[in-house]
Amino acid sequence: MKKTFTVNLNGTVYHIDEDAYELLDNYLSNLRIHFSKEEGAEEIVHDMEARISELFSERLKEGKQVITIVDVEEIIAQMGKPEDLSDDEPMEKESPVNSSEKERGPKRLFRDADNKVLGGVCSGVAAYMGWDITITRLIFLILGFFVKGFIIVYIVMWFVIPEATTATEKLFMKGIKANVKNIGETVTEGFEKVNDVVRSEQTKSTMQKIGEGIVNVAGFLIKCILVIAAVCAAPILFILLIVFFSLLMATTGVIAATPSILYEIMPHVDWTFLSTSPTGAVILALCGILIIGLPIIGIIHILMSTFGGWRPMSVGTRIAFICIWFFALCGALYLLFILNAPFIWQNVNF
Amino acid sequence: MNVDNVRSQMRKGMLEYCILLLLHKEASYASDIILKLKEAHLIVVEGTLYPLLTRLKNDNLLAYEWVESTQGPPRKYYTLTPDGELFLQGLEEAWSELSNTVNHIKNN
Repeated sequence: MKKTFTVNLNGTVYHIDEDAYELLDNYLSNLRIHFSKEEGAEEIVHDMEARISELFSERLKEGKQVITIVDVEEIIAQMGKPEDLSDDEPMEKESPVNSSEKERGPKRLFRDADNKVLGGVCSGVAAYMGWDITITRLIFLILGFFVKGFIIVYIVMWFVIPEATTATEKLFMKGIKANVKNIGETVTEGFEKVNDVVRSEQTKSTMQKIGEGIVNVAGFLIKCILVIAAVCAAPILFILLIVFFSLLMATTGVIAATPSILYEIMPHVDWTFLSTSPTGAVILALCGILIIGLPIIGIIHILMSTFGGWRPMSVGTRIAFICIWFFALCGALYLLFILNAPFIWQNVNF
Repeated sequence: MNVDNVRSQMRKGMLEYCILLLLHKEASYASDIILKLKEAHLIVVEGTLYPLLTRLKNDNLLAYEWVESTQGPPRKYYTLTPDGELFLQGLEEAWSELSNTVNHIKNN
């Protein structure tokens, strides 16, 4: 049994197996990368999508209902892999390139999520330094047991070092130059890896198994410790939460009381407009709450997504937050100063 | 040096000429062109055609229009522009020159 997806390819709907979908998706993004330098790249890929859609419908004519991975593999063979399509460097693939001979590029430290046990720090450091992963893990483990504070260093590294998620980052992590061909290979390799895991048991050396066993146990222990620490810290967190809410309330109170307080600070502003215009007062209070509240919500969200397993905010939400905050700021400033400009000038001139 | 290498380069040079020749005869959409090029054993992978068509279109040698199809979404039918016709004439001359040269050398 297999899970299927529904895809819209050039206006026609197809049912496609999960693995076939991933392969096709990789293929199309590889094509996009491959043609990205060319004028009209989107058009080329779109035309090719249209052709793939045609080939799909031909294959479904014989009573089949679902596109399988074999179909996609055959269609990719028919359409050609990105490296077959370049006409600038004809037939360069004649000389097989080993992964060790790949062009070297600048290296950067990332966490390696593909080989992670706990946070991928060890695997990332190993990739960065060119060490063996198992040995790196053992060294980290020993250091963790004997050096005071090393676990905290590990946890800090976990949070500070970014995770290599895109193909480009994965190449940077290994110090391989990020060109189209290498990116393509990484994407395809990643896919093959998924397949291997599904289809067959991964073959590992005894050393790796033992190492991973130890690290798994250690990882479990560390996770336990973290959980216990979190449980112990829960009352403190609770108190902090109460403090935060009372602060929020106080802030609201302060904002509601701004006319009197701000009058002291800014005597040039005509605060009477707040009593003459309740709408202005409400809007000003609202702006104040937003100006102070949004950053606090942001900080809480960052803390919770790092420590508490919340999903990180989407880019859209972030932009919306920033925009709302900015508007609130503008609104408050507008109400305070622009509306009162004549009054302020009057006072200043005096 | 490798025979396959040279052969594929020769084919690539020919490809544009043949596409223009096909479109000179009749307007067609990409899959028709692929079918004919495959019959003539001129292309191996279909993907080579698409960047070429787009490039020729961007160079104003080809134009296309959307034509409704009975079997699915509308298709892009490519035709030669006047510029394309001129370009094709140039290529035709170049081709006959080339084949003359080769024949001349072969037969003398």
